[in-house]
Amino acid sequence: MTTPGANPAPFAVEALDLQVSFDGRPVLEGVNLRIRPGEVVALIGPNGSGKTTLLRCLLGLQRLDRGSIRLFGQPDARQALPHIGYVPQKLVLDRNFALSVREFLALRRKETRNWFWQTRRKTDALLHSLLPDIGIGHLLDRPIARLSGGELQRVLIAFSLLVKPDLLLLDEPTAGVDTPGEQTFYELIADIHRRHRMTVVLVSHDLSMVYRHASWVYALNKVICCEGTPEEVMNADSLKAAYGIHVTPYHHHHVH
Amino acid sequence: MFTEAYMQRALLAAIFMAPLCALLGVFVTARRMAFFSDTISHAALAGIALGFWLGMAEPVLPMVVVGLAVAAAMLWLKENTDLHTDTIMALLLAGSVSIGMILLSLLKTSRGDIHRFLFGDILAVSTPDLWLGGALLLAVGAGAMARLSDLALLTAQEELAHVSGVPVRRLNGIFIVVLTLTVALSIRLLGIILVTSLLVIPPAAARNVSRNLRQQIILSLLAGLAAGLGGIVLSYRLDVPCGPAIVLTSIGIFLATLVAGRLRS
Repeated sequence: MTTPGANPAPFAVEALDLQVSFDGRPVLEGVNLRIRPGEVVALIGPNGSGKTTLLRCLLGLQRLDRGSIRLFGQPDARQALPHIGYVPQKLVLDRNFALSVREFLALRRKETRNWFWQTRRKTDALLHSLLPDIGIGHLLDRPIARLSGGELQRVLIAFSLLVKPDLLLLDEPTAGVDTPGEQTFYELIADIHRRHRMTVVLVSHDLSMVYRHASWVYALNKVICCEGTPEEVMNADSLKAAYGIHVTPYHHHHVH
Repeated sequence: MFTEAYMQRALLAAIFMAPLCALLGVFVTARRMAFFSDTISHAALAGIALGFWLGMAEPVLPMVVVGLAVAAAMLWLKENTDLHTDTIMALLLAGSVSIGMILLSLLKTSRGDIHRFLFGDILAVSTPDLWLGGALLLAVGAGAMARLSDLALLTAQEELAHVSGVPVRRLNGIFIVVLTLTVALSIRLLGIILVTSLLVIPPAAARNVSRNLRQQIILSLLAGLAAGLGGIVLSYRLDVPCGPAIVLTSIGIFLATLVAGRLRS
């Protein structure tokens, strides 16, 4: 198993010896990540393995007991935030909140943050120039609280791409999306990655997706149990180490 | 009726406080904080009792101080215990009402006054209340409009707001302080028991006929203003407490928008 640290180029993500605990209970122990720019990296692991906590650490949302994180060589997460796109697991908006998709997207860019006073045409022109091919034009007038799971994920992706991120973090992005929607979603991510070559870190429990789209996999269960290419990590022993049970990965349409 | 000084004060108070509640209410309801504001308003009872104990005729300051203390206690308990938010709020609401009632029962001379605070009274609006209300409307209106995008992002999701550069903790703190001040100052008109209704009903009425947040904010402001002014006129004409009169007017507006929304869709 090789490490992804061979490339002398600076790392997009470099996390060293991360230690996080909740109420004295360790959630992450000595976790190291080194992710090169342009990679698609998957974090897999069972429920409660610390995947989401690790992502929150990268976003600067989680206090570390120990360890350090550098994003693009920058030790201060706040400084790196303008270069990060983040797609949360879910967005539970109260149905009383009439925020439309157009307004939601306008919140992300400085030029459109004045949406309350701007004409719709001006906001739309800016959104279309920034998101020409994301396929959400028909959703702009809809209240965001009433979108389906698949529609919402597409809107969240669009939101994250508005800043043209160098690093895209996705936290189980297809939770609550049906299977065909899930496939379309990952194809969209793969397409976006092909065109923009940003670094992608995605948390997933969908092993077949990891097999198809990730270039490097970290299997996490409080500690990094194993890492490597999908082929290396998907062998039963590695997965058993991460999940603590016998798992047979389901591969489909995998092109070598 | 508008020539009498107390009516002019009451109408001005409605013009200041009703739109303020309606504007904040859009975010209070979306953030599911209605019970939070209800707890703050009930905590004011302990503040009023404390003010009477200290010999104050206008206990606005202790109302605000106790409200902020309860809000701080609520946040501390939420962050440092495993208690459910509803449990924390029920605990603080019941606790502060009990403290207030015991203090008032020990202070027999002022007990009659408490009805003015429970259900609102147009006679109770003082000139300092009015100045405070006007200043708060100006400050909050300007602040909310300047940081509307931050507030909307915070309402949508705190993590997304953080990633978008919104100072989440600071904005949450400011929101809670502003909400506490607004609730304390609105108690004169609406009363402790009914003050939350002006935070909840106008945004809900606006939601019935809005397709986006801009429409919801504008219509909520208008619905709040109409309910405030209409309720005061009703209160004067029918000689009833103005809190219930404002609430029933806002419910009337809510029902009208509900029908209008259904007919349109």
